[in-house]
Amino acid sequence: MSFLSAQGILIFFLLGMFVFSFFSEQFLSQSNIMTVVRQASIIGIIAVGVTVVIIGGNLDLSVGSMLSFSTVLVVDLHDKVGPTMAILMMFALTLMLGAVNGILIGFLRLNSLIVTLAMLSAIQGFVLIYSGGQNVDIANQGGTWFAFFGRGYLAGIAVPILLFGLLAILVQVVMSYTSYGRRIFAVGGNPMAAVYSGIRKNWCVFSTYLISAFCVACAALVLGSRVMGSQNNVGQGYELLVLAGIILGGTSLLGGAGSIWKTVIGVLILGFIQNGLLLMGYPYYIQWIVTWGIIILAVWLDLANKRKRLLTTHS
Amino acid sequence: MFKKTTLAASVIMMSITAAQAEGPYRIGITQNNVGVDSYQTTYESAFEAAAEEAGNVDIVVLDAGGDVARQIGQMQDLIQQQVDAIIIWPTNGQAVIPAIRQAHQAGIPVVVTNSKIAEAGLEFIAAFSGPDNVQQGISSAEMMCDALGGEGQIVQIAGQPGYTTAMERSTGFEERLAEMCPGVELLETQPGNWNRERAQRVMEDFLTKYDRIDGVYSGDDNMGVGALNAAKGAGRADEIVFIGATNFAVGYDAIERGEYYGSIYQSPVDDAEAALQTALDVLAGEEVPKMNFFETPKITAENLSEFDRPVF
Repeated sequence: MSFLSAQGILIFFLLGMFVFSFFSEQFLSQSNIMTVVRQASIIGIIAVGVTVVIIGGNLDLSVGSMLSFSTVLVVDLHDKVGPTMAILMMFALTLMLGAVNGILIGFLRLNSLIVTLAMLSAIQGFVLIYSGGQNVDIANQGGTWFAFFGRGYLAGIAVPILLFGLLAILVQVVMSYTSYGRRIFAVGGNPMAAVYSGIRKNWCVFSTYLISAFCVACAALVLGSRVMGSQNNVGQGYELLVLAGIILGGTSLLGGAGSIWKTVIGVLILGFIQNGLLLMGYPYYIQWIVTWGIIILAVWLDLANKRKRLLTTHS
Repeated sequence: MFKKTTLAASVIMMSITAAQAEGPYRIGITQNNVGVDSYQTTYESAFEAAAEEAGNVDIVVLDAGGDVARQIGQMQDLIQQQVDAIIIWPTNGQAVIPAIRQAHQAGIPVVVTNSKIAEAGLEFIAAFSGPDNVQQGISSAEMMCDALGGEGQIVQIAGQPGYTTAMERSTGFEERLAEMCPGVELLETQPGNWNRERAQRVMEDFLTKYDRIDGVYSGDDNMGVGALNAAKGAGRADEIVFIGATNFAVGYDAIERGEYYGSIYQSPVDDAEAALQTALDVLAGEEVPKMNFFETPKITAENLSEFDRPVF
């Protein structure tokens, strides 16, 4: 595999940045880059988890509703039981939702598309009942250390960016250098072969949904703290943006291949496209059309590349 | 349970007083999307409370869940049930017109609540009851003009694209601002989709793009507070005037803290009560103006104490 096709998405990314910088002076300014990365970090954190699920050969469409659930929960509980307990309870309950996905898909072997699509609606319904249709807000918007996760800085870097970076590095290391990571790749690539080689496939699949839920909980922490409140449908549509970032990064939806690193790049491309178009003054609709146009282009390039590789190996 | 009490209450009222000769009326309401948005959720409970208060009304409460097709189905159900009047919170001001015409032809008066329908449908409705969103935009423009002393450059974060409410507020704001305050320049408008997080992101990009922003107009306070958050994050909140609409509790608090200049007070309780009253007036055969707007006053730090903190 040539360097060009392997790093195609990175080259595409740098090219895009170059083009945008002609149209907007501020685009490549340090503060704008920081703003975009911070904005992209919520989608990015979720995408890290979903990439693991996809490498394991499944999908997770429930992350959008789960994000609404976790954000409403942590913000609502903040004023009732204090920030520490609120965060702990939110993580516990979000992981439970992940476990439900994991049991249905890992152990009962139901189709992940159907299960997570059903969970998407079910969880959203649950959020609406829990919140009574009302928005939730943290009463003391200024004076709570909860603000740290969304608005704080450590060593001059915004906390959301740090969290995103740390999670991405951690998961990338686990996926590339541990036997657990290799097993996930094996299960996603060829489930039968994985089972015959003694991998406990059910547990592997189950665990990927826990990782996904954990990432959603981290994202909810950032989101709730950034906004200091939550609308009950705040995560609506996030599942698509997350998928878009992953696809742009070049992770195959068929499982068994992909990398966190590329997902990070994919999510950043998404963020920079939207930011760049906005800085250029294009309205919202154009952003959507361009974003999805680029995604279709990326999928097509990926497929064309694979076909070529297939042809060269067979001839 | 609740409806039984309502019915029971109205029966008792009937037997006690002969003056309550009209009714009991059966009024059906089909709402847009209860339970998703705070305003509509509060509206629904206020509507039920108002119906109980009125005594001579039995209500059928339906919700379209934002789905036009479902709302049209619900309209047809209500026509089938031969209710005395229908109140509709349109999911889409154009698509519901045929269903409204059907009700009209069946002799059932229709009151449109909160959001307007397209011009073509007006001949089929008995009345519209709701806030005047164009006027709200005008009021916001006037506040902006006062706050900036007629000079400056501002940005706008509008509501969901395609929503009548969003468009009317923007139109009212932009036209009045241009007319009253030519010294204030509107640099750019982007939608915030009634979503605080999205508004926050849009404002962050505006702050990058423009070195000087003197004011922000947001289509509602929820988005306005998002813009305020972004400006605080960039350390530029002090130099910017924030003006919103549909006063939310967070907006009310921000005005109280002096971080937010002003907003438009729009109570879902007033909205619900006005809709029910309009329907009752129509049924009682009273002369009702076609466009029945309830009051949506300006709210700033000066008159804040005259208003209750919003419940949503």
